Amino acid sequence: MLLVDIVLPGLVLGGMYALIALGLTLQYGVARIMNLSYGESLVAAAFGAFSLYSGLGLSPLAALLLAVPVAMVLNWLLYRFLLERLMRRGKDRGAQEIDSILVTFGVLFVIQGAMLVAFGGQYYSYSYLSIPLTIMGSTLAVNRLVALVFAALVGGAVYLALTRTRIGTAVRAIAVDANAARLVGIDVAALSGLAFAFGGGLVAVGGVLISMFLTFNAAMGVVFTMKALVVVIMGGVGNVIGALVAGLLLGVVETAVARLVDPGLTLAATYALFLGVLVIKPTGLFGRAAS
Amino acid sequence: MTASVRILLWCAGLAIAACLVTYPLYANGYYLALGISVLYFTILSTAWAMFSGPTRYISLATVAFFGLGAYTAAVLGETMPWPVVLLAAAGVGALTAAITGLSTLRLSGIYFVIFSFGLAELIRQLVIWYEVNIHKSVGRYLFSAVTQDVLYWQLLGLTAIVFLVGWMLGRSRYGLALRAIGADETAASHSGIDATRVKLGVFILSATFMAVTGAVMAPRWTYIDPAIAFNPTISFQVVIMALLGGAGSLFGPVLGVIPLVLLFEVLTATLPNHFSIVLGVIFVFIVMVLPNGVIGLFGPSRWRVPAGGPAAAPARGSDAPLLAVDGVSKSFSGLRAVDGVSFTVTPGEIIGIIGPNGSGKTTLLNTLSGALRPSSGTIRLGGTVLNGLRAHQIARLGLARTFQLVRVMPDLTVAENVAAARLFSTSTGSGATPSELLDLVGLAKMQEAPASELTYIDQKRLELARALALQPRLVLLDEWLAGLNPSELETGIALIAKLRDRGLTIIMVEHVMDAIRALCSHCIVMNAGSVIARGTPEAVLSDPKVVAAYLGGDDA
Repeated sequence: MLLVDIVLPGLVLGGMYALIALGLTLQYGVARIMNLSYGESLVAAAFGAFSLYSGLGLSPLAALLLAVPVAMVLNWLLYRFLLERLMRRGKDRGAQEIDSILVTFGVLFVIQGAMLVAFGGQYYSYSYLSIPLTIMGSTLAVNRLVALVFAALVGGAVYLALTRTRIGTAVRAIAVDANAARLVGIDVAALSGLAFAFGGGLVAVGGVLISMFLTFNAAMGVVFTMKALVVVIMGGVGNVIGALVAGLLLGVVETAVARLVDPGLTLAATYALFLGVLVIKPTGLFGRAAS
Repeated sequence: MTASVRILLWCAGLAIAACLVTYPLYANGYYLALGISVLYFTILSTAWAMFSGPTRYISLATVAFFGLGAYTAAVLGETMPWPVVLLAAAGVGALTAAITGLSTLRLSGIYFVIFSFGLAELIRQLVIWYEVNIHKSVGRYLFSAVTQDVLYWQLLGLTAIVFLVGWMLGRSRYGLALRAIGADETAASHSGIDATRVKLGVFILSATFMAVTGAVMAPRWTYIDPAIAFNPTISFQVVIMALLGGAGSLFGPVLGVIPLVLLFEVLTATLPNHFSIVLGVIFVFIVMVLPNGVIGLFGPSRWRVPAGGPAAAPARGSDAPLLAVDGVSKSFSGLRAVDGVSFTVTPGEIIGIIGPNGSGKTTLLNTLSGALRPSSGTIRLGGTVLNGLRAHQIARLGLARTFQLVRVMPDLTVAENVAAARLFSTSTGSGATPSELLDLVGLAKMQEAPASELTYIDQKRLELARALALQPRLVLLDEWLAGLNPSELETGIALIAKLRDRGLTIIMVEHVMDAIRALCSHCIVMNAGSVIARGTPEAVLSDPKVVAAYLGGDDA
């Protein structure tokens, strides 16, 4: 059935987008860093999972145990040694934003260059749990379902951590107003670094899960950065539920365009959707009113 | 500068120009190609900095316009004369910039960066889709008679034009307006600058140069496909070059172009595989170490302030109300912040608006100055209805304001802050010059200081001078006296009294009751969005309702 053919893979894809966007909204919403090297980190994690699987026969789900801590440490170092300095230097939010965009641009090229040297420009994929499964007359590979379940588990855990723990509440306070958070005794610098590292961990999860069912190459990180940004901005910066809804929406719209119009226009559809939201409601579908 | 030095400089300039023009005659193919690269990146980054430098809108759409120009040349190049092709490319670039700019230039910061990057990708995708589905072939061949020499000369001519236009723009009022917008867009629009139109105009200008550059460069490739014409690396390289040189000044970007083009040339020859790693490291290095670019090392550049016309003396006379506010309300979803407020202001008087915090005073001022649109009611200034007009239009009609949280344009000097309010002033007549205004508020000695270095009090003075520079009929002062110490307060009250004696009409929101008593002929007291009392200061301050609003009633 056509509808199920669109909605089911759309939701799987959308779930991935929501997970990736969740990490970006932590980095941007809390640590105030617009990390343009985000997609490159994702692809790097995908390459990591690929190497572990094809070299050591390690299952991608086990690879998560390695990839996530490594990504968190690397992101924390990036924050601590480059980005925090810019945050202190910037006169206002605008200057900080521009500086962080420019520096992470540089980081983007470094990561991408390193991957090109190591893996070249060709596409990679591997076959893990690619067993077809029929659901409501529509066929889906098991690896996609596993990825979706994992994304839901991780996303749910992050949501609970943000809303039900002391540290999570402090992190949300920083997202609302960093200066006010400082006044009530929250260590903004340390927690921002933690949130940034956490966002990096989430993108590693996304990268490993995506590598299970998509082909990828060293140059496609930018596409993921753009999609994560589109989701974050559509959902409203710092809004977890908004990111979830916007991610699912984007996944379904892309699948629908690929299926019904032309696969070559999926990216165009993404941007058209994004520009439409920006023009009509710049604070996002679920965003707070502009300050 | 003595005459002989001047002659020497002219000779040096002419010699350099002669070298540049005759370059293809003595440079061989490799060096000519290098010269072409330097020139086209010079045009692109100068055009980029023309818009992005002063506004700090980081645009990654360079390659969108460049690629459109190149494609226009590829499509039309063999059927039409070359000048027509260049004009068509300019038109396509300008039109695309106009359409996209109109809908998106109100986005700022990260939204604009992402939008501009998305724009380049979107256009590339659409071109690919068109070529695959309609044209049935992705690449196009462009055979043209343009030799490398001619290509070089075209680029050189275009470089001269981009510098000339940039120089003229910097000297024109639009140059200062653009920098004022970059420094504080809200303050700029309340100084009578139409932020949207100025940004859009310069964005289109910059995009036009990029598109023409793309068209001029197209014959160099012979074969064009979207991956070549819309290569996103070009956008990044342009940004990094402009930033290295310094995007804040006209000749900054070229200082970044020359070393980086040479470096990239060496890199592609020696380390082709590590090119992008090195590019990234340079990028990080520039942002961390040289935030103002190479040109920033030579100290801040001095911009010429366009001479302002003389200020008009505010008209005094008729008893017809200058401002008539009738039943104005403003709601924020459920909350009625201002509820059916009516009052009139006659020329030459000072009206005080008082009331507890959160009673809607600043919201009322915001509806008057166009920062907010009233939900209902009408506002007339000397007979003109202000409802629905934008902030810069209201400012040009002669309604100036200061802000509760002081807003100066930090990157501009004190004199430029005042001059910015004069740029689009329509009034003519005799009156105070900007330096007389600065003298009036006591900032005469600080004219060349950057506004960000002023103390809080001096920033408030500067804001007042900027408001007066609009040659206003009515000035709104939003807690202008707040935070002053007793002696400063005395000076401040005397200054406002002096303005009134010169015939200026003033509405002041204030918590300093001494000032209200000393200055205001008439007071309006607001509480919870409505007017609860009006009359002379003595009368309203002893009104039991007013006392209850400030101190709480019996039952509180």
